Amino acid sequence: MSTTLQSELPAEAPVVGPDVTLTSLSEEVSSRVLMDRAPRWWWIGFGCSFLLFIALLVQMGWLFVNGIGVWGVAIPVAWAFAILEYVWWIALASGGTIVSALFFLTRSPWRSATNRIAESMLLSAAPCAGLMPIMHLGRPGLFYWLFPYSNVMGVWPQARSPLWWDFICLLCYILMSIMYYYAGILPDLATVRDLAQTRAKRIFYGILALGWRGSTAEWQNQRIVYAIMSAIMAPMVISVHSVVGLDYAGGLTPGWHDTQFPPYFFFGAVVSGTAVIMMLTILVRWGYGLQNVLTEYHLNAMAKVMLVGSLLLAYAYVWEAFGPLYGSDVAAKTEFYQRMFGFTSPVFWSEKVLTVVVPQLLWFPVVRRNQPLLVMISAGVILGMWQERYVFTISSLAHNYMPSYWGHFYPTAWDWTALAGTIGLFLTMFFLFLRFAPIVSIAEVREIVEEERAP
Amino acid sequence: MTQPARTYWRSLEELAEMPEFAALVERELPRFRDVVNAFDRRRFLQLMAASMALGGLSACGTEPNPRQLVPYVQEPANVIPGRNRYYATATTQDGYATGVLIAHQMARPIKVEGNPDHPASLGGASAIMQASILEFYDPRRAQTLVGGGEIATWEGFVAALHDRRNALLSRKGDGLRVLTGAVTSPFLAAQLARLQQQFPAMRWHQWQPLHRDNELAAAQSSFGRPVGRTFDLSAADRIFGIESDLIAATPGWLAYARAFAAKRRPAETGGEMSRAYAIESTPTLLGAKADHRLGLRPDEIEASLRYLAGLLGAGPQEWAQQDNAQAAWLKAAADDLAQHKGNALVHAGREQSATVHVLVDAINGALGAFGKTVRLVAPVEASAGAKAQSLSELVGDMRSGKVDTLLVLGANPVYDAPADLDFAAALRRVPFSVSLALYDDETALASTWRLPAAHEYEIWSDARAFDGTITIQQPQARPLYGGHSAHQVLGILLGGGSGDDHTLLREYWQQRAQQENRGDFAAFWHDAVRGGVVPNTAEPPISATPRGDAVTGLPSPMAPANGIRALFRPDEGTWDGRYAHNPWLLEMPRTFTRLTWDNAALIAPGTAKRLGLATHDLVEISVNEVKLTVPVYVLPGQAPDCMTLPLGWGRAAGGLGAGVGFDVYRLRRAADPWIAEIASVRKTGEVDRLATIQGQDRVLGRDLVREATLETFKNDPGSIVKKEKPASLYPPFEYPDRAWAMAIDLNSCIGCQACTIACQAENNVPVVGKDQVLAERIMHWLRIDRYYSGPPEAPTVAFEPMPCMHCENAPCEVVCPVHATVHDHEGLNVMVYNRCVGTRFCSNNCPYKVRRFNFYPYTSQNNRPAQSWNPQVSVRDRGVMEKCTYCIQRIRTTQIAANRDDRPLRDGEVVTACQQSCPTQAIIFGDRNDRESAVAKRKATPIDFVLLEELNTRPRTSYSALIRNPNPAIKGNQS
Repeated sequence: MSTTLQSELPAEAPVVGPDVTLTSLSEEVSSRVLMDRAPRWWWIGFGCSFLLFIALLVQMGWLFVNGIGVWGVAIPVAWAFAILEYVWWIALASGGTIVSALFFLTRSPWRSATNRIAESMLLSAAPCAGLMPIMHLGRPGLFYWLFPYSNVMGVWPQARSPLWWDFICLLCYILMSIMYYYAGILPDLATVRDLAQTRAKRIFYGILALGWRGSTAEWQNQRIVYAIMSAIMAPMVISVHSVVGLDYAGGLTPGWHDTQFPPYFFFGAVVSGTAVIMMLTILVRWGYGLQNVLTEYHLNAMAKVMLVGSLLLAYAYVWEAFGPLYGSDVAAKTEFYQRMFGFTSPVFWSEKVLTVVVPQLLWFPVVRRNQPLLVMISAGVILGMWQERYVFTISSLAHNYMPSYWGHFYPTAWDWTALAGTIGLFLTMFFLFLRFAPIVSIAEVREIVEEERAP
Repeated sequence: MTQPARTYWRSLEELAEMPEFAALVERELPRFRDVVNAFDRRRFLQLMAASMALGGLSACGTEPNPRQLVPYVQEPANVIPGRNRYYATATTQDGYATGVLIAHQMARPIKVEGNPDHPASLGGASAIMQASILEFYDPRRAQTLVGGGEIATWEGFVAALHDRRNALLSRKGDGLRVLTGAVTSPFLAAQLARLQQQFPAMRWHQWQPLHRDNELAAAQSSFGRPVGRTFDLSAADRIFGIESDLIAATPGWLAYARAFAAKRRPAETGGEMSRAYAIESTPTLLGAKADHRLGLRPDEIEASLRYLAGLLGAGPQEWAQQDNAQAAWLKAAADDLAQHKGNALVHAGREQSATVHVLVDAINGALGAFGKTVRLVAPVEASAGAKAQSLSELVGDMRSGKVDTLLVLGANPVYDAPADLDFAAALRRVPFSVSLALYDDETALASTWRLPAAHEYEIWSDARAFDGTITIQQPQARPLYGGHSAHQVLGILLGGGSGDDHTLLREYWQQRAQQENRGDFAAFWHDAVRGGVVPNTAEPPISATPRGDAVTGLPSPMAPANGIRALFRPDEGTWDGRYAHNPWLLEMPRTFTRLTWDNAALIAPGTAKRLGLATHDLVEISVNEVKLTVPVYVLPGQAPDCMTLPLGWGRAAGGLGAGVGFDVYRLRRAADPWIAEIASVRKTGEVDRLATIQGQDRVLGRDLVREATLETFKNDPGSIVKKEKPASLYPPFEYPDRAWAMAIDLNSCIGCQACTIACQAENNVPVVGKDQVLAERIMHWLRIDRYYSGPPEAPTVAFEPMPCMHCENAPCEVVCPVHATVHDHEGLNVMVYNRCVGTRFCSNNCPYKVRRFNFYPYTSQNNRPAQSWNPQVSVRDRGVMEKCTYCIQRIRTTQIAANRDDRPLRDGEVVTACQQSCPTQAIIFGDRNDRESAVAKRKATPIDFVLLEELNTRPRTSYSALIRNPNPAIKGNQS
């Protein structure tokens, strides 16, 4: 695979810039972490994100004091923003794992420089995803009842419920992701420790580096652990996102009760996750001036992944329509007509355009090289994926089996605050990763440099 | 020596004796005056006990108000926690009584149920009756006695009335007027008669806005005297309704509805079924159940009836020659009626003109209905005079200054009198006016004295049912808020002091029982009070035939309107406005509109299109030179060019209902109380969001309502419901013991909403308010879906009560991550509130959408005393899912009782709240495993079906298909 990708490469787009050396790489990446003052753009970005994060805290306070009624959820539309945004966030997070673990297994060279961005993104998005279902509970303080702990009541969670599978999967996934991230960043933390100028930083990164000395044995163990974890993470992310799909597929509502949901969700994760990584990579390149390390080669490769994802998604959309329209279930058919031509139809069509039609531009190399266009397409994909979840979550519940109980969903200001607030949480965390952890895997890029420089 | 400017007190006792303090207490805390005056500990404890127990304990027995309250040291006999005790009494609406049994838990009234021994109930209970318990507990009821703008005491009022009495005695009662609603109470009538004797110049007036003056006037011209009409629907094979409230609101309707439904269960009665026709301007329950229905304008209704009368020989022959657009339909109906002479019945609603009622009498006469399907009885009301005329005379006299003392007992004319009378202005000319009212309503606030009335469940009284049967009303508790009864007020005026109503009533009945030779009085009294019915008090039928000249003397036919006509109609929930403060009734979805918390101007789809109006649009209408801004609701089945305006909303004062909806009384005139020309309809361009709960009006191609004709049922019953149990890889669940199940007969369901409110009362279902209804968060566990089919101008209506289906393969159960909704061994799908974390997945997964979620802490937001909730059902906290339990508390209490007696449960022993209240017995509940049980038998009929069978949920609740009995001579076979 790596050879194929490389052979396709235009000559002017190497994986790393020609002037990158092993030393310059370490220094360049570490200096972004070790600099005494963060750049202005970081402060602006972090400040804005933090304000949004505060809004999330206010929203949570209001929600927990007054109850779930402050949102627009109702009966029949008992799930709305919180669940669709949970799916949205978990898809973004999954995209991070796909880039980092799946492409590690395929030994794709472009993955080495972007995997840290992907994993940081994943670790920033996962709490947003995890927060949503908890906020969404009627009695959020009791969420731990989903956890199989021994209790005096002798009551265990209900193993037939997709929600419980989901809870377990998400928990494992987040824990695994943290460990995976840590296993990968360990040598880099040691590098930062070694380059640190002040005592405080040396102690801070020294503790985090767990006494890494860079011995061959350590390297060997690290590579083995990392490879094994990648081999676990890659199928795991597929299963995690499939289980999220089962939340819907297991639901007895027209439009949800469909076996295609697991792959459908996974395809969405590929395209939306790559889109976020694309945007963040361009941000890091531009902000930290790492054009040499994060080259057009990376953007080009990610654009192709996005294109593949969007084609897969288009395939899923065909089946999404084929099922109800070909089938004999009146309710499913009516529901799909409602999606296409009812209350949610503008969102439905906009979603298809943004996630499937527009990304077809990526067939053209000139588009793949145009960074502003890439940002716009990626943003469109991310928005489109939100809209996709919005449509099938809400439309299906609103146009259920009982015409007498059809309803609508009207989001309240608090619904929007929750969305904005989790974006704030995500960006806040990502900016912290940017500031305090090497955002490019020094160790792995060194390998690339070594390989490239090798005669 | 002058008094010191400021007095000091040294102890609380001294303070209590100071006159300034006494005055202060009297002003600020009138009800505690007694405490301060007689500051002995014993009396204090009595009062505190009374107020804390809120009339509980010994106050609820059948004994007269005991003078002593006993502390709960020794348990009173038969007050057992968790066990219901029932006390019979009656509720009245417009004077007419319906017998009820009130369930008490720990001596607190909890729930109103129909009295099976009472002819007007037969065990059924309407939504309004059920909701009366909430009115009884309503903390917004009037609690303060006010005289001349100052807070006063009952003794103060008694003294003032005594003074007044002395003055009146000297002029033989000149200037004294009493205004009441319709009175059926023999005791109140006797008091009024004695008052008339004492004060010969006094006059007694009656007013109720939803009066039956037209029926009365028709009786006068048809029979030459006032008579009441009662109906025997068990003999009626053909029923013809003219905007009839026969099974919706007419006195005795619960019994009529039961008889009506009993004749329409072909699957259980061997294919026999009555046939009903309806012509109406605005949809009625009978119209919805009718086999043929015509939506007609009021002038067309009158013309149609003349035509019908002509055809049936009840009117001049030339009437039958009339050119009539509906001639073919009416001809077929007339032929059908004529073929069933003696078993046919024609009934018109109270809102129809006197002309229509005269024609109805004539047609009934021609059909030989009198003595068979229609019985004439002497009027049940004590004085069957025309209400509108009575009020007009009173207002005329008030205006000319002839009235100086006015007692308004249980009427609210400032709100509901015809607007052209301007009662409020007339009342200002009366120097001494007294209003005895349950709420501080419009009339109370405008009177010089306003007295908090005791609720019906707090007093001793009596009342008569539609057929004359008398019930002794016994109090269920001491007055919660210190109210008094009309009997007490009249007692003072009669010079008897403020004697308690029990003594007064017992004295009256002692005399009467003696006259009627009822034997031992104590035994008679005990049985009458205990059973809720005084035996042999129904009015005997009178034989009379309508006079022939009544029809010929009718005024000329009503002309078609130039524009749009306004129709003033009672509201299903607020009635004439008296129940406008009852949250259950405000939030009760109306049968056709599914509206809550609002009334709206109902117009036909065609008319709406012509005027460019849609539901929620605000229009300004001008009627009788009064302008009113109202929201529009487009109602299928409404006659063209008619705008129905429900009365009883837009209260200006009182309780919760103040300011809710719009007040139609402002448009109403004494001369034409039911109909008016609308001069103009102007679209304001604004929108008022109406809180309706029905999503879609039609079934959208789903098999939710199975419907067939009687002919199909007879020839090929198997074709109506195709039973295909979907295949499953899993074996079915085993239910070796009992399998609780419910069967609902769609043919019997008349859409009256009694079950919805019964369920709300039984299961502590909270009220959520208009905002939350708009947010689609209404909490009713049982709703009655209303589906239309056919053209919007003349739709067919189907009502479908929707409790929990208790699916054997319940989709809700598998998705709950915490085991909060599980199945029990008898097949109940149970909710474990304590375990629920509120994921709401169960609601998503419920294809029937019967699950309700506490998005806010609705229960604690409901402003009602803690003791009014049913202690047998947990109240639900915020964030918890809830739904119909098949009244599991009733199942368990009955089972425990059976276990204690060491016997098996009998079929019919467990009765759910909805089943119990249903006037038509549409709902049957029981053990499906028992082949002999009523529910198993109904489920075994060929027309039994379940909803969404293809989902393989295997519901325990099933339905009997809707069977119609169309007249083959009428083409198009539709309404």
